[in-house]
Amino acid sequence: MYIATKGGEAAIQQAESLYHQLKGQVTLETVRHIEATMPYLLDRVMGEASLYAPELAALAIAQTGGDLYEAVLLLRAFRSTQPRIAYAQPVTPESMVTVRRISAAFKDIPGGQVLGPTLDYSHRILRLDILDNRQAPAEEEPAELPETPAEAVYPLLADWQRENGLLEPLPAANPVEPADIPDVTRDPIMMPAPRAHRLQALARADTGGVLALGYSSMRGYGLIHPTVNELRLAHAEVMVEHPVTGVPFSAGRVRVSQAEVVSKDASGFKIGFAATLGWNEMKLIAASMLDLEMNSENSHPALSEDFVLYHTEPVESSGFCIHFKLPHYVTFASSMDAVRRVQALYRGAKATATEAEEELSS
Amino acid sequence: MSLKDLTAQASAAQGYSYAYLDLFAKRELRRRILKAIAIPGCQIPYASRELPIARGWGTGGLQVTLSLVGPESVVKVIDQGADDSVNAANLRRFIARMSGAETTTDTLKATIIQSRHRIPEERLKEGQALVLQVPDPEPLRSVEANMAKAREMHADTDYGQMWLTLYEQLVRYKQYIQGASYPVMVHKRYVMSPSPIPRWDNPALHQAQHLTLLSAGREKRLYAVPPYTNVYPLEFSDVPFEVEDQTGRVCVRTGAQNKFMNELPQADGSSLFELSDTGYADKLVAHDPPGATYYDDQGNFYHDGYLKRQP
Repeated sequence: MYIATKGGEAAIQQAESLYHQLKGQVTLETVRHIEATMPYLLDRVMGEASLYAPELAALAIAQTGGDLYEAVLLLRAFRSTQPRIAYAQPVTPESMVTVRRISAAFKDIPGGQVLGPTLDYSHRILRLDILDNRQAPAEEEPAELPETPAEAVYPLLADWQRENGLLEPLPAANPVEPADIPDVTRDPIMMPAPRAHRLQALARADTGGVLALGYSSMRGYGLIHPTVNELRLAHAEVMVEHPVTGVPFSAGRVRVSQAEVVSKDASGFKIGFAATLGWNEMKLIAASMLDLEMNSENSHPALSEDFVLYHTEPVESSGFCIHFKLPHYVTFASSMDAVRRVQALYRGAKATATEAEEELSS
Repeated sequence: MSLKDLTAQASAAQGYSYAYLDLFAKRELRRRILKAIAIPGCQIPYASRELPIARGWGTGGLQVTLSLVGPESVVKVIDQGADDSVNAANLRRFIARMSGAETTTDTLKATIIQSRHRIPEERLKEGQALVLQVPDPEPLRSVEANMAKAREMHADTDYGQMWLTLYEQLVRYKQYIQGASYPVMVHKRYVMSPSPIPRWDNPALHQAQHLTLLSAGREKRLYAVPPYTNVYPLEFSDVPFEVEDQTGRVCVRTGAQNKFMNELPQADGSSLFELSDTGYADKLVAHDPPGATYYDDQGNFYHDGYLKRQP
């Protein structure tokens, strides 16, 4: 029964227990295992939660039995209770250890194409031998170590394009107080959104949502026809100032990724950009295309800033979607009242029409 | 009240601030609430933190309640008029756990009433705060989906399209066909969504003794109707606004009439009815005299002449 008199709270607890029965007990071991074996899942969840905490993300995934929207909500709700104790220094290309960096715009680029970790060119074949207990599973071969280590730092392709007049020069960077940077977790988004809000919202957007809207732009509802200028996966140090000595130190190392797409218009090339915590390549390509699309005039309504940012918010969209399970019988009763009034009116009108016909025929 | 008492209240929820929200979040909310009270019916944007409750499940109302609640508060939470609906029970459990506040099902004893989709039948009084959960704060959404444009329309008091919508309804159906969330004009200035309360409850906002706070967590907007404020439904002077017809409906539990009823479909094709307001129904069942209600037993609203056509 939907409403049990005085039984609501007991029902909630029973329902929760039933849900957890399917996934079994969560142990520290499960959490550690998820953290060690599912980095790409963690990155997706940490990106959408905008909280870089692999251990907590693994716990959230374990605790929710892999329901990713619930896992993201757990992390977001935890995040919103945490005080902001410091602002990290900006991460620059020179400060990142880049492990993958590719461009679709040129065959070769200054610093070279670095394939790095990717499944892009693998055969998508299920490893059924692992399921076959009768033979020892074939080892995945570890990557060979090169004789000389790869470069850690690569120049930006966009810098070369700016030098050659293909892209507009960067505006002079004004020094900004970190506390003055608009923060989407502390301010409501007002449209048109400040650029900081837009990039933050895209960074924590729902992967599937960004893909769906990005794909609609790519497939033909968009105005832009972009090229992936540069895609990067890297490790970045989170540099903060020591509260006492003022000396910058690394508070930890995080996986980060960024994508840049370019598209030509009458005046030259324009750039779209997106970056996230964690390695989330596909989301970034779609998000950077949406960034570019949102700058173009008269873009399709479904690709406008207002539409994209509101509708790709994972916690809000998933929460609202599941809220339709809640009782709505007051609003439904109100609608029934309106429908019955109209029906009564039409029945009345029909009756009058029939009477008139009878009168005519008699 | 000492600090020790206050922190002891929160001991059940160790590791979290009193009433869950941190002080910065509460300060922001309280400032926005004051602004909302100062500009009746105007939607005030706020940051809206994520809570451990799914978005769209009352997190807007919950943030307002958590920023108001204190250890001496008495909290009532209802959903569809019912105290024992599972979501109301869940929110009440959370508020009590995080604040140590007392909870009640008695409308008259509560200092804070958080509600989804209903206003209690018993008249609220001065000193009480009604917190309504709001899914969509924007009454203009149906005529202008873009929030920035709708905001400009409010600034310009540009409500022509709302009147046009009502006019079109009259042309096509000879009556207003809006169900719940019937838009109202607050203090002759802002068109406001009263949240998806039935039309039956709209009049309770007019010249009310209590404070009403409306909050949409997902949409990050809150707004208010201060006590003793004019709130009128949008209606043409010659076609009056009408509340849901409760004529002939008798509550199977209490025998009450002329209150908002739940319709319970029966296997034989007929319907039974029961009071939607469970707190009020419980009093009738227990022969505990209820307080004065917005509508009397004949269905007359307590402000004479406010409803041009009585239900």
